Amino acid sequence: MKLARGPVIAVAVIAGLALAAPLLGLPDPIRMDVAHRMAQPSWQHPLGLDEFGRDELSRIVWGARASLAVAFAASLIAGLVGTSIGVVGGFLRGIVELTLLRAVDVVLCFPPLLLALLVVTVLGPGAGTLILVLSVLYVPGFARVAYAGTLSVRAQDYVEAMRALGATRPRIMLRTILPNIIGPVLVQLSLAAAAAIVLESGLSFLGLGVVPPTPSWGLAIGAARATMDQAPLLLLWPCLALTATILAMNALCDALRDALEPHAAPRTTGQRLRDLLTPGRAVPSGDRLLELRGLTVAIETPQGTVRPVREVSLTVAEGETLAIVGESGSGKTLTGLALLGLLPEAARVLTGSARFDGADLLRLGETSWRGLRGDALAMVFQDPMSSLNPLHRVGAQIAEAITSHNNVSAAEAAARAVALLREVGIPDPARRARAFPHEMSGGMRQRVMIAMAIANGPRLVVADEPTASLDVTIQAQVLDLLAELKQQSGLALIFISHSLPVVAEIADRVAVMYAGEIVEEGPVDAVFGAPLHPYTAGLIASAPSEDGKPPQAIGGTVPSPEIVLPGCRFAPRCSRRIDRCESEPAAMVEVTPGRRSRCLRWAEL
Amino acid sequence: MSEPLVSATGLTRHFTAGGLFRRGRPVQAVNDVSLVLRPSEAVGLVGESGSGKSTVGRLLLGLLRPTAGRVSFAGADLSGAGPAQLRALRPRMQLVFQDPYSSLDPRRRVGGQIAYGPAIHRLWPRGERANRISMLLHQVGLAPAHALRFPNEFSGGQRQRLAIARALATAPDFLVADEPVSALDLSVQAQVLNLLADLRAKLGLTMLFISHDLAAVRSLCDRVIVMYLGRVMEEGPTHAVFSTPQHPYTMALLSAMPSLDPAQRRTRILLQGEPPSATDPPSGCVFRTRCRHALPACAEAIPTLREAAEPGHFKACIRDDIT
Repeated sequence: MKLARGPVIAVAVIAGLALAAPLLGLPDPIRMDVAHRMAQPSWQHPLGLDEFGRDELSRIVWGARASLAVAFAASLIAGLVGTSIGVVGGFLRGIVELTLLRAVDVVLCFPPLLLALLVVTVLGPGAGTLILVLSVLYVPGFARVAYAGTLSVRAQDYVEAMRALGATRPRIMLRTILPNIIGPVLVQLSLAAAAAIVLESGLSFLGLGVVPPTPSWGLAIGAARATMDQAPLLLLWPCLALTATILAMNALCDALRDALEPHAAPRTTGQRLRDLLTPGRAVPSGDRLLELRGLTVAIETPQGTVRPVREVSLTVAEGETLAIVGESGSGKTLTGLALLGLLPEAARVLTGSARFDGADLLRLGETSWRGLRGDALAMVFQDPMSSLNPLHRVGAQIAEAITSHNNVSAAEAAARAVALLREVGIPDPARRARAFPHEMSGGMRQRVMIAMAIANGPRLVVADEPTASLDVTIQAQVLDLLAELKQQSGLALIFISHSLPVVAEIADRVAVMYAGEIVEEGPVDAVFGAPLHPYTAGLIASAPSEDGKPPQAIGGTVPSPEIVLPGCRFAPRCSRRIDRCESEPAAMVEVTPGRRSRCLRWAEL
Repeated sequence: MSEPLVSATGLTRHFTAGGLFRRGRPVQAVNDVSLVLRPSEAVGLVGESGSGKSTVGRLLLGLLRPTAGRVSFAGADLSGAGPAQLRALRPRMQLVFQDPYSSLDPRRRVGGQIAYGPAIHRLWPRGERANRISMLLHQVGLAPAHALRFPNEFSGGQRQRLAIARALATAPDFLVADEPVSALDLSVQAQVLNLLADLRAKLGLTMLFISHDLAAVRSLCDRVIVMYLGRVMEEGPTHAVFSTPQHPYTMALLSAMPSLDPAQRRTRILLQGEPPSATDPPSGCVFRTRCRHALPACAEAIPTLREAAEPGHFKACIRDDIT
């Protein structure tokens, strides 16, 4: 955990000053010198004297003791009680949850000042009363934070694992839940302490808090207000102390949050994915529908520039299905996103060109993209739930995709939407068109996504893991549907997947990607039947085979993109590596027309 | 035949949706499931999402209470056991989860997590801790030095190895592996499958392998149980279920598996529609709404498991004329 040092030092200095007040050799904060009341600052009294002739500096420093002690004690007590309530309520659920959390919610119904007034009236003013009032006030905040944290942590498998190991419930709460929710609780603690300082000052100002002559910032502000005309500076000092302390505490909150939540950095990935279907039209030309040359994608990271996609070249002919297969981190998804102009903010195209319909997809402006995407070029994503708008009926979403590219009436678009739903095999399409995405199953939603993709008769569809989140029998249905659509409309498909068998079923040609590069490419039966790269061969052997033979594992793991190797990226895991593999980069070799391998030893395979 | 280590009879679990004051219709996650696992046997539990296979795993471990039916483990009745009695049995049965990212506590060093179970049950002699952790790490193919690291320093495959080490730390007899490889990268799935197979052979573990991946089940398990919508459709020796499936659902499931081998891409049985809701399962055979062999009689009575083809191979289908 890395904590920013500034705020910690500031808070430590303030707390240290308050603690060390008796040792600082300051004048007695209670001794009055009425003759010199409201004296201007001098060497002897750097901040002057107050309305009773007491040393102002001394009163501010001693006052910090009262203010901070009350604030810290109250927030600590509230933190302990509130967190316990939240964790116990959130973990045990049921009647315990109901009783504890609702009881705490009752406190939230009182205006804080009224509650304070009530308690002070009953118990009389003083530091003890203040601590009691403030702790009661801050318990709900802690309880809520701890409760929310517990609810999300208790659903994690590691909590279930603790139960499976036989840990008792108190033990799970204390040793597993608590450490995992402590971040937000600590932040809440510093927030509560800061708020308590303010409230303590406010209550003391009203005469409900610390009892005079004990110094306190609230009392000092209250007293100085009365003599504002004669000695305005006396109002400034306690306010300054208060402001500085609050600022320091808030800075500490921020630092704590940043330190405890390293993922707080903004993530822009996926944002542009939502910027999907919108108007225009492009002119088709050429026999190769898509020709991607030398695509390199760069991502700037704090550790430097990484290249998760390097020198990727691909072609797709009219009506052809090209599959890109690879594991996570292979760069297959980024390649697809680059082709659609949908790279996340952090990534950019470094080199390459992609000719499609006479345009270069990698150099297209957002306006031209709007005419192309959803029209001649469409896409289907893995998770249809996050790609469909949850607030609109699916029929309306398909109709919108139609009207945004064509000049047709709303009624006509709606009718075509229903026809499309029928075409993708949704039973009772007229009724289902009025359904919201959450009312449909995963398989149905994926069919809706496909209906949307083919709405404007695209020439190329990029499908990224369209069946990965589906069950095997539903996957079979969707694959069948895609094959049927291909046959009927002659559209070309780029099918991105991690599953070799799925690719084998749907694709004409396949490009195998590993660690950002295409390592092998060719007709699908040739590549899977007689692979010319050890990685492809390894992948095939590592899938459990249908005859029940134990799988042959590839050792090691996929290298992370920041690792730069002088030789072949797969060499460290390759069983057929020779010295040359590790020293020189392997070039793509065209073995036969349309069959390429990035292995020095392809001939021996 | 040896005494079963784990057995369940009439296992049923319904989940009630809704809050304290509002009761929805219960989700019938598991209905009347009976099964036995004999010592050192590996049984595969396959089915699609919503089939209730994970719920069965948790019921067998006593992590969930059955709505009806009973589970016994090594002669002890788990369903009637009190918390203390259950806790005493915990070291003997363990669980490996699907997602190695959520199954390890991110705030605790992995050595500590591995030693956690033994610490609760005081299984390791004093001074043995470091030694035992090293042995366990070695057993799952990791280095002893890894004990001091935090989970986020490991890859998915390594994390799954750690989760396995944690499960093995209490020297269990029975291991439930719930989709242990489906969240892993393709090229490391085989590593973990092979590790499980090795450990099973070496330690004589009894294992319930829950998976939707039929091929993985085939490579690892002696017997297979096929579930659909909370009920067992078919059960039998792995080779028999795969080579001569008896239930129309198993046939459809097998034929839906995509295959690398063009010769294997036989005529696919495409199931119509989607699984019905578990809050309102069809009467009679739950599969009948998607079954192309369904007869009017299928809607009348819930078919019981009966022996088909060869001993030990059961199916819950009233028809015998389907191949």
